[in-house]
Order: sequence, then structure tokens, then C-alpha cells
Amino acid sequence: MAPVRVGEGMPKPPVPVQPPAPSQAAPEAGSVPAAVAADPDVALMLRLQAGDEAAFQDLFRKFSPRVLQFARRFVGSEAQAEELAQDVFVQVFRFRHRYRPQSRFSTWLFTIATNLCLNEVRRPERHLRVDIWDRRDGEERAEGPPLPDPSAVTPEQGALARQLERRLEALVAALPPKQRAALLLSRMDGLAYRDVAEALGSTEGAVKALLFRATQTLKRALGEYL
Amino acid sequence: MRCRRAQRWMVAAVDGELSPRRRRMLEGHAASCSECRRELVATGAVLQRVAGLAAECEVPSPLEQATLRRVRLLAAAEAEQSAERGWWTAFRAPALALATAVVAIVVVGLTRGTGDRQAVMPRALDQRRVAAQAPAREKPRVVASRERPAAKAAESLPAEPPPELAAAPELFMELPILRNMEKLEHFEAIRTTTLDDGGEQSNG
Repeated sequence: MAPVRVGEGMPKPPVPVQPPAPSQAAPEAGSVPAAVAADPDVALMLRLQAGDEAAFQDLFRKFSPRVLQFARRFVGSEAQAEELAQDVFVQVFRFRHRYRPQSRFSTWLFTIATNLCLNEVRRPERHLRVDIWDRRDGEERAEGPPLPDPSAVTPEQGALARQLERRLEALVAALPPKQRAALLLSRMDGLAYRDVAEALGSTEGAVKALLFRATQTLKRALGEYL
Repeated sequence: MRCRRAQRWMVAAVDGELSPRRRRMLEGHAASCSECRRELVATGAVLQRVAGLAAECEVPSPLEQATLRRVRLLAAAEAEQSAERGWWTAFRAPALALATAVVAIVVVGLTRGTGDRQAVMPRALDQRRVAAQAPAREKPRVVASRERPAAKAAESLPAEPPPELAAAPELFMELPILRNMEKLEHFEAIRTTTLDDGGEQSNG
């Protein structure tokens, strides 16, 4: 039997960037890890801190697609996701002086995004809103781009792929908020488990446990499609 | 290796977050366990699908404009606040110094006033007490008689000094000797008192 190579052909390669270890999380002022110092996003953020508002625009253009999609998948509503994405970037601007270049900008950004999304889904009045806006199964998907499916060559396969996508969206939206956050954050380019743990205010071990539970739920529910 | 443990490591293995040693262990187990091999493939497929959900999307132009508008408003509000703070910072030190000086003057004034009153009041009370206890003795009467004219004089002070005083103010200076008038009144008694030290000196 041929040896099994784990992770071959999988979408997320190992992340080479190593953010500072927890013990180095608060180094002396002025000492910036080399990997972080070389990060162009950190340079943009430092420019913004220095009063360059054009740097904010650059950061917005670079990160807003990911933030918006994260918020969409998290809260399940286009309108709320847009509001949240706006709030995330307004918070970035408001608290720009609190950013320290000891951690990567994307980690800091997604920490803000996660906190805002978690606050949003925990609001008691939200449950009613979700029920009202919940899409029916027969309705066409009105938001977000369709999932690329290179294997869907026939109309039947395309229909199956769309059905799977809708099912997956509903399943992800039904996950407990922390599992959902860990799952969506860990799918973001460049976010290692350590960054996800930082964004969630927990440990790598806890992130692994959240991801395991979330994946088990999805696998059980999607068994027929897999 | 047990299947349960292998399944716990699968997500991290797919994400490249498993240590090389554990990865080798998992690969070895998956090579010999068809169930875990299927689980590993299913885990990869699920995570790939979720990654598709989290992929980037196009940001509507109004969203960008609305965000930038909010940020510009925020920046303007911050600039206004910092200008106000700058004004206060420039005037804070002098204002605090002035306030401190005023408070110090008031406190010193109050303390002095209270001190004078405390110094005068017990003496006056003592004199009244002595006068009440020994009305027949002469000394209190003398003291009382000295104070009574002074009080009368204070009551009958003219609004302006008399022309003689205005013409020759140097004659009415407050001299130290005037403050020792009481001692002068008892000069005779003091002069005739024999001190022990003086007696010893005269004897020696």
C-alpha cells in the first residue's frame, strides 16, 4: 500500500510566519521581531499611526474582502456583515495607537473582527432577526460569490455543488460561536493556529479542540456529500 | 496508535500544524487503518469546502465610501479634541499656579486670623476670670482699667487722624517701649525684688 501523505493537495499550506511566542509577547518597546518588521501590513499600520490616512485606505482595500467574507459567514446576513466590516475598520482607525508591531497586523485585525462578530451573534435581539431573515431552501443564494467547483462539469454536478454549499453555510452558521470563529479564522490565509488563539483569547490547544469538534459536526452532517 | 487519537490530529495535520513526529505517527496509522484513511480524506474535503466559504469576496463600493466617510469624521473629531486639549495644555500650568497661589493666600489669611483670635481670646478670658474671682485685688482692676480706655479709644477713633498727628507722624511711631508699658507700671515692684542670683553675687 502506498504511504499516506497527510495534507497533500489540501488548500492551506503550513504557515511559515512565526509570530512571537507568548513569553515574547510583550518585549521592550522598540524591539520588533524580524518577521513582523518585514511585514508590509505592519509598515502600513505604522504609517497610519504616524498620521498617514492614505495608509488606512490601503489597509482597507487589502483586507476588507476577507473581513467582509468572514463577517458574512459568521453572522449569515449581508446587511449585518457590511455593518460589521465597517465597524471593524472604524475600530482599527480609532484604536490605531494601541496597535503594537509585536504581532502581525492581520492577527490584530481579525481579533477585532472576531470580537465584534461574537458580540453581534450574542445579542439577544439577534435571534429574532435571524429567524426573520433566514433563507428558505428553495431560494437562490443572493449574496457572496459561488463556490468554485472545478469538478462540477455537468448541470447535475453543478446543482449538487450548490446544494452542498447551501447546506455547508447553514451548518457553519449553526455551529457554536467559538467553534465557528475558530473554523473560519483558521481558513483565512496566513492565520496560523497561534494567531487564531490570539484572536480568540485562548490557547492553541483550545483552538485544536474547537476545530476538531466543528469538523466532526460538519463531517457527520455532510456524510452523504463527502 | 488508536483511531480516536488519530482523528483528533487530523485537522491539524491537514492544516500543517502538526509536529513532524506526530505527522509520521498519523501517516503510519492511516496506512494501516482504512477507516482513518477515509476520515482523513473526509476531513480534508470538509476543510477545503469551508475554505471556499471563507474565500475573499468583492467589497461593494458604497461600503468603502461609507467606511472612509466615517473614518474622516472620526479623524476630524479627534483633531478638534486634540486642539482643545492643546489649548488646555498651554494654559494648564499657569492656571494651576494661579489657583495654588489663591488657595495659599486664603489659607494663610484664615490661619493668621484664627491664630490672632486664639491668641487674644484666651488672654481676655483669663483677665475676665481673674477679675470675677478677685474683685478686691488691685492688679486686675489696673489691667481692666487699662483695657477699658483702650477699648473706648478704639471705639472713639476718628475717621481721619487729627491735624497734629498728620503734621508730625514720626512722633506717633509704634516703639518697642510702648509694648512694655505693663512692665513699666510695675517697675517699682520689679526693681525692689531681690533675686537669689543677685544676692549670691552681691555676697560674693
